[in-house]
Amino acid sequence: MKPTLYQPINSEVVDIIDESPTIKSYVVVTEQPFKFETGQFVEMTLPGEGEAPFTPSSSPADTEKMEISIMKAGRVTDLLHTCKKGQKVGIRGPYGHGYPVENFVGKEVYIVSGGVGLAPIRSLFLTLIDRIRDFKSVVCRYGARTPEDFIYKKTLFGPWQKINGVDMKLTVDKANGQWKGNVGVVTTILKPDDVNIKNAVAVVCGPPIMMKFATLKLLEFGFADKDIYLSMEKNMSCGFGKCGHCMIGKYYVCKDGPVFTYDQIKGYPKIWD
Amino acid sequence: MKCGAGERNAYCVLLREKRTTQTRYEKRDKRYEKMETVFIGKLKPFLDAVAESGDLYVPKKSERHYVFSRYTSSAETPVEFNNIRACTPVKEFLFPLRELAAVFPEPVEPEDIKPFAVFGLKECDLRSIEILDKVFTEEDFEDPFYIARREKMFIISSDCFDPGESCFCNVIEGKAYPDHGFDLNLTQVSNGFVIEIGSQKGREFVEKHSELFTKASSEVLVERDRLRTETLEQLEKNNAELKFDTPIRDMMNETEASDVYDVEATTCIECQACTRICPTCHCFYLYDTRQKDYFAKMKMWDSCMRMAYAQVAGGANPRKVLGDRLRHRLMHKFVYFLDRYGLQMCIGCGRCVDAESGGVDIRNVLKKLNEELGKTKVKT
Repeated sequence: MKPTLYQPINSEVVDIIDESPTIKSYVVVTEQPFKFETGQFVEMTLPGEGEAPFTPSSSPADTEKMEISIMKAGRVTDLLHTCKKGQKVGIRGPYGHGYPVENFVGKEVYIVSGGVGLAPIRSLFLTLIDRIRDFKSVVCRYGARTPEDFIYKKTLFGPWQKINGVDMKLTVDKANGQWKGNVGVVTTILKPDDVNIKNAVAVVCGPPIMMKFATLKLLEFGFADKDIYLSMEKNMSCGFGKCGHCMIGKYYVCKDGPVFTYDQIKGYPKIWD
Repeated sequence: MKCGAGERNAYCVLLREKRTTQTRYEKRDKRYEKMETVFIGKLKPFLDAVAESGDLYVPKKSERHYVFSRYTSSAETPVEFNNIRACTPVKEFLFPLRELAAVFPEPVEPEDIKPFAVFGLKECDLRSIEILDKVFTEEDFEDPFYIARREKMFIISSDCFDPGESCFCNVIEGKAYPDHGFDLNLTQVSNGFVIEIGSQKGREFVEKHSELFTKASSEVLVERDRLRTETLEQLEKNNAELKFDTPIRDMMNETEASDVYDVEATTCIECQACTRICPTCHCFYLYDTRQKDYFAKMKMWDSCMRMAYAQVAGGANPRKVLGDRLRHRLMHKFVYFLDRYGLQMCIGCGRCVDAESGGVDIRNVLKKLNEELGKTKVKT
């Protein structure tokens, strides 16, 4: 009898970082060694309350601890936001297929992200910059509702902008006094010459509406369906392709995804809803 | 041109060849190819012998239907032989409505499952087990609770002689008598029962109780074959109207955008009975509970017909509309599951038709999609 399929690994929240008015990052240490690949997700249990899927935002290279950024969005995440350092949690996973980083080698990686979608992207970004010479360039276009809504502000507004090989632009839907950057949704800062489309892959992660319009824009630029990588957010419950909640057509997002190429899922109804 | 049984079977063979992975039970079945037959005059001594090794569940008439209940041997208890599938879906024995999935922080040893036997399963039921096996015994993510029960289950099936009004197994690859997937299979003939041995476990049982059985004579085997043919003919007659011009999968794919789903869904009252009683539906959800000195994760049946089934925390829901949920349910049964596992996820047992509180009838939906496809083809 293998009890591991539904059994969470006992873990502890060792630190909590306030990222934005609605998002906090939780630094989690698991009792047993835990490895994941960038873009894979975990199920985090708040004991006695419930469980929800999250993609870690830390680099898989950090095997001591894992960071998970959580937006207040429902019952479980609301409760998680009231937790303090030392909170015991359960972790199951990792599940699914993450970003196929090896396929990106030698190419320009065009990352379009918004809101809490930056969480999985941070993990990918950290993985890419660890071996930045392997890629032609890493071009990032990130959006947030307001400047306060950006997460990872310390690194995002500073060191990440200065990395050799990284081209980063930020935008906000609504500016305030200090903001000097672009104002407009993320698609307004996507330009056809941002990358050489013939040798580029695009990675899109964010709220469904943003992912839809970003994908349409990328297609308009001439990106092939198979070169657009989408992180799909569905109601993943079991994590291993049985319970059925996260299905998009024949795919279980939890097992076959959560990262899909657009050509895999474009034929199915209401993928952005 | 109508798609006849021959073509349907050829199509199914093609699909079977496409299957990439075999479950542990298919591999076991394959090893046990040589069927042997024995004969027994009365049911009671047989059931008593089965009940010696553990709990035995037998069909019991409850109003119009049969349900499974635990067998107790006594002179007064009448022994029933069900000529039609029971109402209870076999998944209840393997994947209960609710079960304990995990205890933490200190894990506990899972419940020890004792050997048990189920008598009176039909060919459709066995096919539903085959479908559940695909899901719960996948090599990368074996469900330990399912496998624990599956390993301990002694499967005694029997031929179906009285298909119900809602039965349409013959349209969905079925044939009312099984040729694999059982430990023992019984056919009721005029003076007793022909028993086929379908597994090593079945053979061991017969050898252990050899005094109960005699050789099956060629006469009873002839009678059995005649009865089987008659049932098949009956099914073909009952479902003569349910014919498709295209294999169901292709038909469903081509009519995916059809508003037949929305129209049919207007009669659905969202009672979810169809998914609860369906022997192949296996959706579940996990929920957490707090006990006095431990936390538990529970696993409970769910239904894709439920409004919030696919909804995420932020409120997004790809299947808010009832018609979209019906579409997804049927596409899953006839297209998605088949593309993934090489099997259709419907066995044609008709339980959903019997249980329906509203007006959705899976056969009507299929019929209407077929008609619609026919009309489009004429136009083009």
